[in-house]
Amino acid sequence: MRRNLPFAAVLTAIAFLAAGCAASQTVPDAAEAVADPEAWRATPPTPGEPPELVTPKFERFALPNGLQVLVSERHELPIVSVGVALRAGTAADPDGKEGLAQLTYQLLLEGAGKRDAVALDDAFADLGTSANVSVTQDGALVGTQVLTRNLDEAMSLLADIVQRPRLERASFELRKEQQLANLAAQVGNPRYLAGEAFAAAAFGEHHPYGRLGTGTPASVARLQVADAKRFYEGAAGPKAAALVFAGDITTERARELAQAWFGGWKGKAVAPKAPKAPEVAARAGVVVVPKQGLSQTVIMMGRPAIAVGDPDEYNLTLASMVFGGTFGSRLNMNLREDKGYTYGASSYVDSRLGVGPIVASSAVRADVTGASIAEFMKEMQDLESRPISPAELEAAREGRIRSLPGSFESVGGLSYAAASLFWYDLPLDRFERLVEGYEAATPETVQAAARRFFDPSLMQIVLVGDPEVISEQVGTMGLGPLVERALDAAPAKKGKGKAAR
Amino acid sequence: MRSLVFAALLAATPSLALADLAPAPAPAPAAVPAAAALPAPAEADDHLSIPFTKYRLDNGLEVILSEDHRLPIVSVNIWYHVGAFNEQQGRTGFAHLFEHMMFQGSRNVEDDAHISMLQYLGATGLNGTTNFDRTNYFQTVPSHHLETALWLESDRMGFLLDTLTPEKLAKQQEVVKNERRERTDSAPYGLANEKSWQTLFPAPHPYYGSVIGSMEDLDAATLDDVRSFFETWYAPSNATLAVVGDFDPETIRGTIEKYFGTLPSRPKPEARSVAPMELASTVELRVDEKVATLPKLRISWLTPSVYQPGDAEADVLAIALSGGKSSRLYKRLVREKKLAQSVSAWQQSLGAQSVFVVDAVARPGVSTDRLLAEVDVVLDEVRARGISAREVRQARNKLETGTVAGLQSVGGFGGKADQLQSYNHFLGEPGKIEWDLDRYEAVTSADVQEFARSVLDPSRRVILHATPATAAGPKAAPPPAGKKPAAGPTTAPAPAGKGGR
Repeated sequence: MRRNLPFAAVLTAIAFLAAGCAASQTVPDAAEAVADPEAWRATPPTPGEPPELVTPKFERFALPNGLQVLVSERHELPIVSVGVALRAGTAADPDGKEGLAQLTYQLLLEGAGKRDAVALDDAFADLGTSANVSVTQDGALVGTQVLTRNLDEAMSLLADIVQRPRLERASFELRKEQQLANLAAQVGNPRYLAGEAFAAAAFGEHHPYGRLGTGTPASVARLQVADAKRFYEGAAGPKAAALVFAGDITTERARELAQAWFGGWKGKAVAPKAPKAPEVAARAGVVVVPKQGLSQTVIMMGRPAIAVGDPDEYNLTLASMVFGGTFGSRLNMNLREDKGYTYGASSYVDSRLGVGPIVASSAVRADVTGASIAEFMKEMQDLESRPISPAELEAAREGRIRSLPGSFESVGGLSYAAASLFWYDLPLDRFERLVEGYEAATPETVQAAARRFFDPSLMQIVLVGDPEVISEQVGTMGLGPLVERALDAAPAKKGKGKAAR
Repeated sequence: MRSLVFAALLAATPSLALADLAPAPAPAPAAVPAAAALPAPAEADDHLSIPFTKYRLDNGLEVILSEDHRLPIVSVNIWYHVGAFNEQQGRTGFAHLFEHMMFQGSRNVEDDAHISMLQYLGATGLNGTTNFDRTNYFQTVPSHHLETALWLESDRMGFLLDTLTPEKLAKQQEVVKNERRERTDSAPYGLANEKSWQTLFPAPHPYYGSVIGSMEDLDAATLDDVRSFFETWYAPSNATLAVVGDFDPETIRGTIEKYFGTLPSRPKPEARSVAPMELASTVELRVDEKVATLPKLRISWLTPSVYQPGDAEADVLAIALSGGKSSRLYKRLVREKKLAQSVSAWQQSLGAQSVFVVDAVARPGVSTDRLLAEVDVVLDEVRARGISAREVRQARNKLETGTVAGLQSVGGFGGKADQLQSYNHFLGEPGKIEWDLDRYEAVTSADVQEFARSVLDPSRRVILHATPATAAGPKAAPPPAGKKPAAGPTTAPAPAGKGGR
């Protein structure tokens, strides 16, 4: 997508920027302004001719065994990011075995081919790098980043990790212990506690998005090495994976390397289906995770909202930008800069393969917990009574579109974007479509999305903090009964509340 | 602390930012690998350099220009050569509080407009950060908005005080106190880490305040403090402007002259000098941890300052100790003995004096005293025999390629602009990247051994035991014989430092 923004849009955006210039209101009289040799500064600079918008570019092809290969070329520095993206993420955890996907993917780095964990790490370190695993709800990425001249060796290690992981019992037990200890540590992390409780509140404990990928102490405790082997067999194979390259590599070279190292990969794994959309229910109560003596309360609010590719995705993203997606958003300006309740308040749209949530959150001073929640609710209601203005929309739109080139400076970011295209079944021109979607949005369509998704009565509320303070501050606000969530959440019970997969 | 690429690698937390401004709203659990930049080795014969020119305006402002036309974006990055190091007694946290005031508008820029304007024109890598030694402000903008960024920066450099009000100061005092609540008081190990730091640098050492400062001192700040801090430290002669990226080399000097050339000159403030701290003996702190749930051991030593002899050895040793699964501390404490949940070691490189830190978080039921004994076994081994040539080579490769990865960004945290600025600030010369990497080329196993022996002296260090009350389980072992625990919990014994006046 090469065309520039409509001229009118740019003008409106500039007008909005100029409104941020104080001098137009404060310069007392023209004569004085002329006398001041610095008076010219009152007018913000006029931007130059916009440069061509550079969006990430991808090539895609498939090997005879079905493995997709995505390539994004960037040749200025001798560095390449390479990885294998897999379609099974934490949403593929069987009910009652939460934590299995993360544990299994971590296990890949505990030994593969002829190397044990230490030898594997040493081999990467010799290349000046290490292997990296990241797991999301809808997929995983196993990869590394190396200088171009080390790419062959890195490919050989990566091929071992993905195709010939050892998945040994002793390593499994080690990772399992570490994951359990990590859960014990996370109980001390207010942000983690909020995220865990929020997933359950918004999606229900048994929904694939209703839990974090870490699992619970009870669910992890019952995992066996056979579970990991079964999971990996179902997750890894050329028909459920993509090889992603970004950086100093040509598509031709990528084809050679892919065929050489992954051409013989076999496996019957198929990509899991998207989780079913959860029912969106009115808020029944406020979830409280008690953590005594905290000087702040973590507030997290939200609801299931939208899947990647939903026609309303662009509208909702822009609405959320205005609501809480930038520093100058309504929510942050209110809670941080006007009220001084917090270091920051923000919202984001987490669209996923299935319907993902919108989330608004902040850590606020404990003694203004109630007042802060009231402001959250008021800002949501205000989206109705104080509709998103054309100027707000233009600013959000311009910000989203024009930040694209700067958001993809690194090859790591590009390979992650390539993996996302694969996880979410997106077309190669995803970023061009994003730009078109943002450009097509109008105040009416964005307002409609805000109305559709920001109804305060459908917002689940999770609070982490001192239970006495919360009870005193929030108990009488009429938001529903306070429901305490135990720190060591009970494991999901089998057979109850069908998993919506 | 060459760049945040390393900082991330080494788990250091060197500075406080104005706000949590994510480049794009990213869902929490999906770590974008770009952030966890994986290092790769540089070609041994590949001479890295960042082309630049440096000059000075008549009013003393230093300018560094570096062209890079890979993407249509340009970074505007200003370092003011003032940090927490320059704070007065009773005003801990002031340099950082002042940084917040820099976003509150100036003569021609409305309150709070700065970040909003930039976000709405597509800026990325946008923030202000304060650390012990300097304060920086940066934004990467689409190249046609370069002048807007220069206009914004010049207005606050020249005319910040015009619109200063008591209300603005009061509001930012609240915001910063909230930041302290979020990042220190309510963060796992936040208060315990602060106590350990303050034992290394007891008052009145200017590092004592740990950048964020105390609630009392933040409350005590006055408008006069803001005015005199600005007059003294924010003089053009005490600042360096770097413009890195896609700018027009024909017009850039004229444009910079237009916005910054007429800002009144003020004398460059005298550099402060503080006698180095020394620990006469080991200080052991036992702190009752209120937020985290697992015990943590932290060992800290005073070490040579950034870029001084010993600094490179410290970086190499840190990687050998905790750089991956094959590293010494990880192998022994996490894999073999299963005593620690995580380990990390890093050199926090600072202008006046650096600190080398070893952190180990215990598995449930393991005491910090047990961890201490095990860390000492590993360190004694290094003191007795050094590290292997392979470990030196691996660390060197990782550090070199961390640098290559850092060159992918023109600005943001730790990109090219910060890299040039860092060399310029500490060494008086931006073009030191090759020299910097050569330092690591020169490090030998014997150097690392000597560093471990003479600098990481077991009898001159601060040992922090942060123990949650809930973690005192039956498996918690008593301290080994001969190690006398310090007085009581939360008691910071009088540190045996001298100097710091």
